[in-house]
Amino acid sequence: MNIKGSPWKAGSLLLLLVSNLLLCQNVAPLPICPGGAVRCQVTLRDLFDRAVVLSHYIHNLSSEMFSEFDKQYTHGRGFITRAINSCHTSSLPTPEDKEQAQQMNQKDFLSLIVSILRSWNEPLYHLVTEVRGMEEAPEAILSKAVEIEEQTKRLLEGMELIVSQVHPETKENEIYPVWTGLPSLQMADEESRLSAYYNLLHCLRRDSHKIDNYLKLLKCRIIHNNNC
Amino acid sequence: MNWRPTGMDLWQLLLTLALAGSSDAFSGSEPTAAILSRASWSLQSVNPGLKTNSSKEPKFTKCRSPERETFSCHWTDAVHHGLKSLGPIQLFYTRRNIQEQTQEWKECPDYVSAGENSCYFNSSFTSVWIPYCIKLTSNGDTVDGKCFSVDEIVQPDPPIALNWTLLNVSLTGIHADIQVRWEAPPNADIQKGWMVLEYELQYKEVNETKWKMMDPILSTSVPVYSLKVDKEYEVRVRSKRRNSRNYGEFSEVLYVTLPQMNQFTCEEDFYFPWLLIIIFGIFGLTVMLFVFLFSKQQRIKMLILPPVPVPKIKGIDPDLLKEGKLEEVNTILAIHDSYKPEFHSDDSWVEFIELDIDEPDEKNEGSDTDRLLSSDHQKSHSNLGVKDGDSGRTSCYEPDILETDFNANNIHEGTSEVAQPQRLKGEADLLCLDQKNQNKPPYHDACPATQQPSVIQAEKNKPQPLPTDGAESTHQAAHIQLSNPSSLANIDFYAQVSDITPAGSVVLSPGQKNKAGMSQCDMHLEMVSLCQEDFIMDNAYFCEADAKKCIPVAPHIKVESHIEPSFNQEDIYITTESLTTTAGRPGTTEHIPGSEMPVPDYTSIHIVQSPQGLILNATALPLPGKEFLSSCGYVSTDQLNKIMP
Repeated sequence: MNIKGSPWKAGSLLLLLVSNLLLCQNVAPLPICPGGAVRCQVTLRDLFDRAVVLSHYIHNLSSEMFSEFDKQYTHGRGFITRAINSCHTSSLPTPEDKEQAQQMNQKDFLSLIVSILRSWNEPLYHLVTEVRGMEEAPEAILSKAVEIEEQTKRLLEGMELIVSQVHPETKENEIYPVWTGLPSLQMADEESRLSAYYNLLHCLRRDSHKIDNYLKLLKCRIIHNNNC
Repeated sequence: MNWRPTGMDLWQLLLTLALAGSSDAFSGSEPTAAILSRASWSLQSVNPGLKTNSSKEPKFTKCRSPERETFSCHWTDAVHHGLKSLGPIQLFYTRRNIQEQTQEWKECPDYVSAGENSCYFNSSFTSVWIPYCIKLTSNGDTVDGKCFSVDEIVQPDPPIALNWTLLNVSLTGIHADIQVRWEAPPNADIQKGWMVLEYELQYKEVNETKWKMMDPILSTSVPVYSLKVDKEYEVRVRSKRRNSRNYGEFSEVLYVTLPQMNQFTCEEDFYFPWLLIIIFGIFGLTVMLFVFLFSKQQRIKMLILPPVPVPKIKGIDPDLLKEGKLEEVNTILAIHDSYKPEFHSDDSWVEFIELDIDEPDEKNEGSDTDRLLSSDHQKSHSNLGVKDGDSGRTSCYEPDILETDFNANNIHEGTSEVAQPQRLKGEADLLCLDQKNQNKPPYHDACPATQQPSVIQAEKNKPQPLPTDGAESTHQAAHIQLSNPSSLANIDFYAQVSDITPAGSVVLSPGQKNKAGMSQCDMHLEMVSLCQEDFIMDNAYFCEADAKKCIPVAPHIKVESHIEPSFNQEDIYITTESLTTTAGRPGTTEHIPGSEMPVPDYTSIHIVQSPQGLILNATALPLPGKEFLSSCGYVSTDQLNKIMP
């Protein structure tokens, strides 16, 4: 047993594991560093690849969840016009088009993504709790919500790893927009409650799309040097 | 204005406008789009007058963004028949953004770039995640409205620069594989990752109408397999964003003509008609099967569909048992008896009466008959003229049986009279045996018991299972215990065949029934003693009493150890009962059927079953109405005759 080669062995094994997992696009990958190693030897490329896979998956789930909710509860009732643009993450300076995204510097971009992810931890948790507490909990929506919550946590971990690799000097910025929509989810009036859910799911879909898009941009910028 | 609005029309229009005006459309308390849609709805539906005069209202047809950086909206032109133009059509848009406190409607920045009746929003006006609302106005009146976000209207451009290369050709020269390549639409920013596209390729032969589709792929080249060499193909590709469902337009069609490599390529492919072969094969097999099944040729039928053996007694129709035709059953059982030695040769519980003339011990006397009738009874089994293969003969002690047997014996051809008294004597001997053994009450049931299970059904209407072990049958015999010990059947155990009639009947020489009976009785004694020891009987025959007595002693009556499975030639004088098979008989007890009459010396042979045994004709039972009661060893000819007329 070559003692010198064991870190390389571990790294290559982890690399194999991660690359194998990345082949399955729609499956939730295993933790990056099993065993709880402090610093993994996984490359940045693999981290980004995996993050993109996760964000894509989360966005797909959010879209599906939103369409199912809309189809089942609020279709054709004009909810869209009320729900536009009242997301709790709207206060964040997110780039709205390609130029703005390109002009944003890398560090801020990464911090922004992490903030968005952090700000969704609590809403997702409450979403799952409230949907689960419904009398006739829609199973499809509930399962997707649970999955999104879990994958978002994983994505946040991955993003924190990426940040620690790309910008190790970054201080932990715990500031993120707080979601206050829980009372509206629990309102007695069905119309208001449905509107609150619609709003939440709509915002989730939009924000997951943003994250997915930003990560793809960053990946092409950082890893492939704008030549994906 | 050439049209005169009716009163109702004006009222509706005013109402709508009032609603629009009163509500704070721009502050969001009432949805703008709702207002717009309501307005357009009211305008369209309420006013036929308006419609006819201006047959088409300008409506949004499509809003599209090819690359998520710009977008454009198109609408139909207002067609006015005989109507002055309603005025310039304008498009106003607004971005619903909480940062903008007021929802200002701004006019379209570019009416030209996207063509006629369109509005083009360049990248500075496009924000991907902020929703837009647009409205179309004609002469100040809103005619149409729409709200969307740019992501929803993204529709990528078609791929460009399709080309193909030949990968390989099959060995037969009939098929070939090609690789199709293309490029992403130029305006989609793939390099920066702004858009991620996937593609769908479709191809078909030139003369076909239906396109074959391949699965979506992320790369810009894909192999297409198994194209026919002599045909020309069309290929087209379209793209869509990975996240959305909107496919873009198809690319230009690429024509693929594969060069003919082989001059001798077949004009048509030869498709091996697997399906036809399978169908016809199955059909043919089915036809053959049916022919065989329904054909008269039983042999072939047996080959293909061997008959499943139904559990039954050989030769006995189950219907007989049901209907209670016991005479036939009994005769058949008697037939079985002849096989018994062969069947049950290895069955430990089937005991046969061994009448082995070859045994040195038995050769002391001159003849078996003498031995049988002599008082010095060593081997009682030899005296038992009947080699009872079956252990289930009815009890000799059955009064009915004995009586009928005796009666039956009267009718047999020959020395029935002789037999009868002999039988009676035997009976008496058996009686005496019983009396001797009265202290052993179960014993005297042994003899009839052994015979019972086979034929007792006749009298008891209980179909006894043939394979019953000795203990069981003896118990059964006990139940059927003939209370009248005097009704022992005196059957001569064997008799010498003097002649065989042409009809197949055997004429037996008169036997010495008395001796037989006495021998029986003696044998019983002997057996009693034997039983007391180890119940291994030399003689294959013992009475029920013996067996019963021995049951508590030794549950397994193993008499067969001394029983040779094969019938001795001397054991020709057998009755159907004797031949009936009941397994587990502790020795085949040839108890005389419950007939008072002595067994005749001989009976005519009914069936020659084997070299080892003969079925004797039963004599007609004198008791009408009485069912044939099986006896221990055999029935008289009378009984047999009754059974088989």
